[in-house]
Amino acid sequence: MKTVEVDQLRRVAPPGYFGVAAVVSAASGETVPLELEERVLRAYLGGVGLGAWLLHRLSPAGVDPLAPEAPLAFVFSPLVGTPLTTSAKFAVVAKSPLTGLLTDALASSHFAIAGKRTGFDAIVISDAADRPSVLLLDGDGSRLEDAETLWGLSAAETEARLGDRLGSGWYIAAIGPAGERQVRYATISHDGRHAGRGGLGAVMGAKNVKAIAVRAAMKVPSADPRGVVEAARALNKLSFGPATAKYRELGTLANLLAFNAINSLPTRNFKEATFDAAPQLSAEELSAMTSVVRHGCASCTIGCEHIYPGPDGKGVRVEYENVFALGSLCGVSRSDAVLEASARCDELGIDTISAGGTIAWAMECAEGGLIDAPWLRFGEAEALLRAIDEIGSRRGLGALLAEGSRRAAAQVGRGSQAFAPQVKGLELPGYEPRTLQAMALGLAVNARGADHNRSGAYEADLSGSHDRLTGGPAHVAAAVESENRAAVMDSMILCKFLRGVFVRPFEEWGRLLQLVTGWDVSEGELKTTAERIVLSKRLFNQREGWTRADDWLPERFLSESLELESGRTAALPAERLREMIDVYYVVRGLDQEGTPSQGRMSELGLDEFLS
Amino acid sequence: MGTSKALLEWHGSTLLRRVGGIVGRAVDGPVICVRAPRQELPRLPQRFEVVDDEEVGRGPLGGIAVGLAALAGRSEVAYVSSTDVPMLHPAFVRRVVAEVNDDLDVCVPYVRGFRQPLAAAYRVELAARVQKLLDADRLRPSFLLEECRWSKLDERRILSDPDVARCDPGLDSVTNLNEPSDYEAARARPAPEVVVERFGVLRSPGESGTTRVRAATLGEAAQASATPLTEDIVAALNGDQISKDPEEPVVEGDVISFMSADAGG
Repeated sequence: MKTVEVDQLRRVAPPGYFGVAAVVSAASGETVPLELEERVLRAYLGGVGLGAWLLHRLSPAGVDPLAPEAPLAFVFSPLVGTPLTTSAKFAVVAKSPLTGLLTDALASSHFAIAGKRTGFDAIVISDAADRPSVLLLDGDGSRLEDAETLWGLSAAETEARLGDRLGSGWYIAAIGPAGERQVRYATISHDGRHAGRGGLGAVMGAKNVKAIAVRAAMKVPSADPRGVVEAARALNKLSFGPATAKYRELGTLANLLAFNAINSLPTRNFKEATFDAAPQLSAEELSAMTSVVRHGCASCTIGCEHIYPGPDGKGVRVEYENVFALGSLCGVSRSDAVLEASARCDELGIDTISAGGTIAWAMECAEGGLIDAPWLRFGEAEALLRAIDEIGSRRGLGALLAEGSRRAAAQVGRGSQAFAPQVKGLELPGYEPRTLQAMALGLAVNARGADHNRSGAYEADLSGSHDRLTGGPAHVAAAVESENRAAVMDSMILCKFLRGVFVRPFEEWGRLLQLVTGWDVSEGELKTTAERIVLSKRLFNQREGWTRADDWLPERFLSESLELESGRTAALPAERLREMIDVYYVVRGLDQEGTPSQGRMSELGLDEFLS
Repeated sequence: MGTSKALLEWHGSTLLRRVGGIVGRAVDGPVICVRAPRQELPRLPQRFEVVDDEEVGRGPLGGIAVGLAALAGRSEVAYVSSTDVPMLHPAFVRRVVAEVNDDLDVCVPYVRGFRQPLAAAYRVELAARVQKLLDADRLRPSFLLEECRWSKLDERRILSDPDVARCDPGLDSVTNLNEPSDYEAARARPAPEVVVERFGVLRSPGESGTTRVRAATLGEAAQASATPLTEDIVAALNGDQISKDPEEPVVEGDVISFMSADAGG
């Protein structure tokens, strides 16, 4: 690394940034600095936004996501390192081996702070090591260490052993055995939290990188340190209010019973939207029966994590998405089995949503005689656990299921694609599209695939502002707004569980950015930034072969309706979805093939990607 | 009555808000409120559309003509209701609307010895025919029936619907209020019995979360179950529509689910 050059870049960078990314070769351990000009930082902020820019710049067109030359970016943000609550987050961005498109996932805590304080706004891993390795980065630069003794361990065990080996001050993000075996929905984990979606762990595994360890070397300057502290105090106070009560007191699992009551709890591979056994899996009942420990990320005052005692006495982080995917979606009602399944996914390092979705699809296939797995049935807890183990080891049926439901369905055929619960290859989260039709659009058009973090349009569906069963222009507006908000929050980065405390979010977020960076960021500028980030991902996907046909939902949702106890039918006809997508394209400034016009790209500065 | 029925207080809401809300729960299309010249209306949700009947003295047929015309091209069948039926139940509306098939233009309930043309279902395309009757000064609803295919839906057939039989066995859906004493008697009746479910942080540890209360509106149900209806809380009616409007009408047999407005997972 050319130290003089990097120091020079850091000196001229705006507050909140270092103005440089480290592009580290996993083959040699050497770093090549990549300048991040102020115009780029202001246009893409950090996190998923800057990650999209980096992918445009560093990912060769058409690259195999598991090839050595495919980059894997750990991206920080201007807020990380400040005392602002929930800001200790980082994004991991790559071309997804599951979708073949851009994927970005967030994780939290000390890795974010230490990673940024290495003096880089992003760490991009390129190439592949010739043997299992650990990548280290601190004030002394980057280097590789042998990871033979860590290979095969869970991410948590890897963190523990490597932490002991390296000593204090090091923070580690690691993959589990599933990442090593390139399960296409393997995760990258730090401190029990996962950059979960899209198979980022497989990308890291393909590079023979078991873990990346970072140690802080320098502080992050802010433009107005006193103002940041005052803003942090105010935000802390708000974070203790009613808008976050659900997360603090019961965690996200509080969704389960409520979603069941409103016919929105995906059950048995989306054949149903209510689950008779939902109370047995609910936060309300589980927390009354057993001791639950609350936990939070570094720099977070909400503390949403609820850790339940697992079968072997180890704590299991329980989230709504785990329990929906491994519980109701697979028809499994035994809470002990769902906790065990969740723990095994964590140990192996696989995304619970994609695991549950793929297994639920396989259960339906097995019951319908489409695959030869008589042991695999909805509701069978032991079958769920066996399937997870086989996926993690790629043995038996696991070799097929490790590919995700889209690839598996393409292989099995016989109509099974119609009920593979995925969009663009990414399995659906726990939000039923037929009864949440703004969310249905969000799931269909999002760049990452079926996703509830880059589109939270379910919020509008559940606000009462429109009829959630009859999608139309109001639903489109809600989906666009939701994507824009997520784009900014995921780039600044702030946890979305904080979103309810902002009254005029873009204005308030602009103020926070100003305190850290010194930029006078208006509400209007930040909304334009949101548009730019959303469309930059779309452009990347187009470069990688995306077409309008990819903005769609599985056939099941369009041809099968749900009967509600209210007497109404929840249906999402294909024509309605098509109309919503048409309107979405218009609102986003896209043509009817989903491509931004030249004028729109120029306005947003996206034309730099066309050269 | 001596006062506008639309504005009459009903459990913290108004008659028009209540009746429009109940009809809206039972149909797929929009709710149209036909306003007489200079008529004052209560606060209504945005999803209600108000159209004006500019001409005076045409009776209910005038209102029906304006309402059906407003629905042209958007719905096939309309449920027509007067404003003064606070005990109307969505199951009754659904039962009546379901009766209009390809062979029928109008379905009129026959309850308590009378035809109920203002608790009836009409094919929307009748608008032009109704207008012709008005132009000919033939203002009685019965004149319309003479000119179209209609059926009489008697009490036995209405009550063959299990939902109506369970929730409105006395067919109070057609009980209208013509005199102040009618209003006072109706207002003195106990509010409907509804089930309230509370989820998440709204439920105390160890509590079942389910109670039965009497309430005619969402606001009353919230109050009766000690659930603060703040901006962070929403309610689902029978697992379907979501609301945080305290004036949202509730009816016998409803299940009201209160939950956190933030559904992030």
